[in-house]
Amino acid sequence: MQRRTFLQAAAAAPVVLPAGYAATEHKLPKYHVVSHYSPSAHPGMPGPYPGQVVSVHSEKSIDVATEKSNAAVVAEMLSRGMRALTGDNDVRDSWARFISPSDVVGIKVNCSGAPGIMSTPEVVAEIIRNVVAVGVKPASIWIYERFEEQIVTVHYDRYVPAGVHIWTAEHMRGSIQAYDPATYVETNFFDEDDTRSNLIRLVCSPFTKIINVPNMKDHGASGVTGCLKNIAYGDFSNVARSHSGAVTNTYSFIGTLAMVEPLRSKTVLQVTDGLRAVWHGGPFSPNRKFRFYPKQIMVGTDPVAIDRLILDIIDNKRKAEHAVSVWDRSMKYVSATGDHMNNPDINQFIREPGHIEYAAHLGLGVYDLDKIKVRSIEV
Amino acid sequence: MLFLAGLAILLPSLYWDHPVDTAAALRQAGIARLLVPAAQVDAWRKAGFTANAFDPATAAKATAPHVEYQMDVASATRVPWVDANGWQFIRTPSRTYFYDAPAGAAAMAAAEAYAYGVQAVIQAAPEDVDSLGRMLRFLGNLDAPRLPTRANFGIIDDGSDEMGEVMNLMARHNLLFDVIPSPDPAYDLIVRLGAGGFTKEDIADPYAFAIRMRHQLTDDKRLVRIYGSNVVIVRLTGDGTGEQVHLLNYGKPEVKALHVRVLGSYPQHHVAVFGHPRAALEDFSVAGGATEFTIPELGPYAIVYLGNGQLSR
Repeated sequence: MQRRTFLQAAAAAPVVLPAGYAATEHKLPKYHVVSHYSPSAHPGMPGPYPGQVVSVHSEKSIDVATEKSNAAVVAEMLSRGMRALTGDNDVRDSWARFISPSDVVGIKVNCSGAPGIMSTPEVVAEIIRNVVAVGVKPASIWIYERFEEQIVTVHYDRYVPAGVHIWTAEHMRGSIQAYDPATYVETNFFDEDDTRSNLIRLVCSPFTKIINVPNMKDHGASGVTGCLKNIAYGDFSNVARSHSGAVTNTYSFIGTLAMVEPLRSKTVLQVTDGLRAVWHGGPFSPNRKFRFYPKQIMVGTDPVAIDRLILDIIDNKRKAEHAVSVWDRSMKYVSATGDHMNNPDINQFIREPGHIEYAAHLGLGVYDLDKIKVRSIEV
Repeated sequence: MLFLAGLAILLPSLYWDHPVDTAAALRQAGIARLLVPAAQVDAWRKAGFTANAFDPATAAKATAPHVEYQMDVASATRVPWVDANGWQFIRTPSRTYFYDAPAGAAAMAAAEAYAYGVQAVIQAAPEDVDSLGRMLRFLGNLDAPRLPTRANFGIIDDGSDEMGEVMNLMARHNLLFDVIPSPDPAYDLIVRLGAGGFTKEDIADPYAFAIRMRHQLTDDKRLVRIYGSNVVIVRLTGDGTGEQVHLLNYGKPEVKALHVRVLGSYPQHHVAVFGHPRAALEDFSVAGGATEFTIPELGPYAIVYLGNGQLSR
């Protein structure tokens, strides 16, 4: 196959900015996307269920005092959610719509807040149990994340069958060894020397399908982090360069990364773990006072629709805690040297929750709440 | 043949002012040639070494290679500061340079001097004798004739400290330059002060000026780009049929995968990586008028030979 180079300039991707945003606040960088992978006929994002989200809640899913998850309840939540999403009676049929026995499945977890918050092992284990039930061998399943020092605190190996790979891209921070040099987004944000962000090699090969398992968190740069941020910044190298001073380019970079093939086509399912959540200080969670417990799992194929719901969950919680909104762009709340990890009214950056709507305009899903169909299930 | 026979690059020398009873450590390190204080020459010669007198005060001082890491590396603009000498080697290549290298710095100093083809004398810490010896043997085995400097920028040097800082910052950010006596169309951009050039005010902030030059050139036209480290500095030499890409890693840990883009199509390649005798380039590609490859592991120094004909090795 010939290498195909896609040049994605600001002018080539007209974006309607959310209300209240001045165009001058978002000078879009020029992105040069290089990939020799073509999109599949039906890319995984937004997938077969655009604008549809199944939200399953259970009071019994997690013990707030101990933060211990109930595996049996989690299994029931996931089963009900998947069946509601696909309309199947047998949950195996639901999973078989996304995964085939011959697939090599990557499970993109989020461990940046571990051990305070992460893709809960009980949730990940239940996903794997269903993938194995479809016929995928454990050796064809990879739990993966970028940073080794984060994932080792979670001990997924104690919850999943022998043979399942637990893999990280960077044993040593900054190493690009595990990234594909031929698949990248090149852009110069702040005159940094290294202007490329490369896709994890495993995503190119051997993965054939990816299941995204993010959390619901506040994020100091992007406003919130859910499906889009986890699949974008979690699959590419050298992304922290998008922040400098009070400014972050998450507004356009997250969606741009998520669009890169083959990541977009292979990410077929979003399972958002909202048993725990973070309303300030994210994506990290060293301070328990900023954690809360939505006790829900959201299932779908549309990352934008799910993130649109997460946005309200986080901002409403902040409102309830009398903290400044994630939408507030006032510099009076921004301080790089301030105590942003302890004070919910201090931000490290001007947050960019508009990244979700930007991703919608790229074609990754449905942002308009009026067009998002949410099915709520109580277990 | 890729490279015409040329002047071999001189190997750096060890300056050793310790007494002759340290000879065993030097022999074990494979070091037989020394520069010593004049008063010790005879003693070292009697001990079987090729010893010559040297006075460090007669040489230009080189800074010990070093990286000053920032506490917060999350911000793109807070890159580590690198103490490197390449800029002054390019500026004044004919001098003899003296490194007073603290522990851990001698091997890197030798590689740096070799890469820029300058005569250098290194005072090494006793614990570095072994690593320096290994580096000198590695350099001595390279087939790297001295080739012309390859650069995007031609700098007409006024000798000022300000211009020196510009060179320092440009070298730090791998904006390849050479010092030239007069404007030369062989270079993409000419940097000079005065009539038709830049003002003192333009270069008052050398970092801002270096970035300005980068923008003016554009990254696509840069002869070399590197990805995967912000403490590696590149030196490029070549003669039109082939290139020597010298890669100097000033950081202590090895770089696990350094990706390099060299402007031009060079299907032939060979690499020598210090500490990795069986190293080979990975992800090698020639496309779009550029040659790209990955060095899987990079210690202090590697040299990549690229050719568009037959490689000589």
